[in-house]
Amino acid sequence: MPDPAIHIAGLTKSYGDVQALQGVDISIAKGEFFGLLGPNGAGKTTIINILTGLVFKDNGSTSVFGRDTVTDYRFTRSKIGIAAQELSVDWFFPIEKLLYFQAGYYGIEPKNAMNNINDLLSRMGLENKRGSRLRQLSGGMKRRFQLAKALVHDPDIIILDEPTAGVDVELRRDLWQYLRDMHSNGKTILLTTHYIEEAEMLCENVAIIDEGKILKEGSPKALTQELGKAGITVQLNHTPADLVQYLAGFTYTQEKNRLHFVVKDPDSAMPKIIHELSKSDAHIQNIATNSSSLEDVFLDITGKGINE
Amino acid sequence: MNWVGLWTLTKREVGRFFSVYRQTVLPGLISSALYILIFGFTLEQRISEIQGVSYTLFILPGLIMMNTLTNATSNTASSMLQMKLLQQLPDLLTAPLSGFEIALAYIVGGAVRGLVNGVLVLLLGVFLIDLPVTDPIGTLAFIFLVSWAFSSMGLVLGQLAESWDQLAMMQNFFLTPLSFLGGIFYSIHMLPDWAQSLSFINPVYYMINGIRYTILGISDSSVMFSFWMAVFLTLIFTATAILLMQSGRKIKQ
Repeated sequence: MPDPAIHIAGLTKSYGDVQALQGVDISIAKGEFFGLLGPNGAGKTTIINILTGLVFKDNGSTSVFGRDTVTDYRFTRSKIGIAAQELSVDWFFPIEKLLYFQAGYYGIEPKNAMNNINDLLSRMGLENKRGSRLRQLSGGMKRRFQLAKALVHDPDIIILDEPTAGVDVELRRDLWQYLRDMHSNGKTILLTTHYIEEAEMLCENVAIIDEGKILKEGSPKALTQELGKAGITVQLNHTPADLVQYLAGFTYTQEKNRLHFVVKDPDSAMPKIIHELSKSDAHIQNIATNSSSLEDVFLDITGKGINE
Repeated sequence: MNWVGLWTLTKREVGRFFSVYRQTVLPGLISSALYILIFGFTLEQRISEIQGVSYTLFILPGLIMMNTLTNATSNTASSMLQMKLLQQLPDLLTAPLSGFEIALAYIVGGAVRGLVNGVLVLLLGVFLIDLPVTDPIGTLAFIFLVSWAFSSMGLVLGQLAESWDQLAMMQNFFLTPLSFLGGIFYSIHMLPDWAQSLSFINPVYYMINGIRYTILGISDSSVMFSFWMAVFLTLIFTATAILLMQSGRKIKQ
């Protein structure tokens, strides 16, 4: 079995009295789109910063393609491209030059970086701004430049720390599409976000983190099935006297002739409910489902909303 | 070694100060010219020769040293602090560069600025007041050593400082007094005994003494001792800067 792209085991980190990470375990396969989902201050950025060498861990291990991120940092860092949450500022050089510098830090000489830099500037819509300083770019352009900088050495793993925080809807959609494209090209992506819909839409697997602990991990679908509480609402023409005996195995509430079922997986529960109700003399007039989301799962696990 | 990374960061550091040469090169040249014109020509009427040379000639090696060390220090200190405050440093720290390579690139950048500024003031002296450079190689060696040593020291200050205010405090309360008390404008023999003794623990004194000898052929104390002191300080400051960068103090958590 090949080494995972990222493997984290028993990771702990304290800042003074604050325990930021309390034994985090995560494994991300090569080519996987993985989301770290949690509120601000949950420990997402600390995990990323330990992986990339900005923060010293207290205990535990972190590896990239099977190689330790501390002892073999040249290898592991060359495999990672990171788009940090905080936008950096440079007063001195045009953005094209900054991309050449960034490539150089990764050991790529200008002549070998040229094609990739031209391609990135074009794909990010920054071709006409190559001679501009960062301060001359709009917020959205700065965010795209940040992503271009992360990709300049063509890394196998792309880490994005809250990439869509504070960006407008249009740019968010563009970034999502771009991330999907990169993923389909075989890149491993680790995304941290506190936008649940972002994780639900993009990620194959997510880990829910709060107060430095991974509370649950799995695909968004599996998590919502396992932990979510979806609903099915059935409208009957009347309430049969012997209703209780048909629906003994279900959790539901009744409001006149309307029944609200709480289920984990509406797709599999609905035929069973219909089958049981068809045994009675009541007729189903209407039936509707409402699926649970990762947000419900998060609320269930942590007892609070993600933005609290 | 990541040679391409080291070369890239060095180019960035040198390019950074050349891109704002009006702030980083010209001011030292202008202030040195003003020192020569105002201090030199006005005080020269009142102060007799010092150790057989005119007062204007006497202060010029000190001005070269002051210009060299302040520029070398402020290049690394301000660049490092700026990168910290403007969130640029993570770009370096997450790249496959070692602490040694990052420190070395910064030090070379600051040393080049110190060297450029020192040599320009030297040339100013040659053209403006016929400065006799008796040992050009020795002069360049001293300028280079001081550039390198104080570039390293600037990197340490920049890494430890958390704000511009702190950095200015370190420079104003530490570096400026050291260079002014190092004998730029006077021979230490003009000082009372206790002040002479204090001068001997000031590293800048040895550097000014050394370069003054290589330019004018006069000195207050042993030139070889000054030279080895400059080498020693260069090694100490360089090692401190590299070890501090490798430790990640104040730049990693």
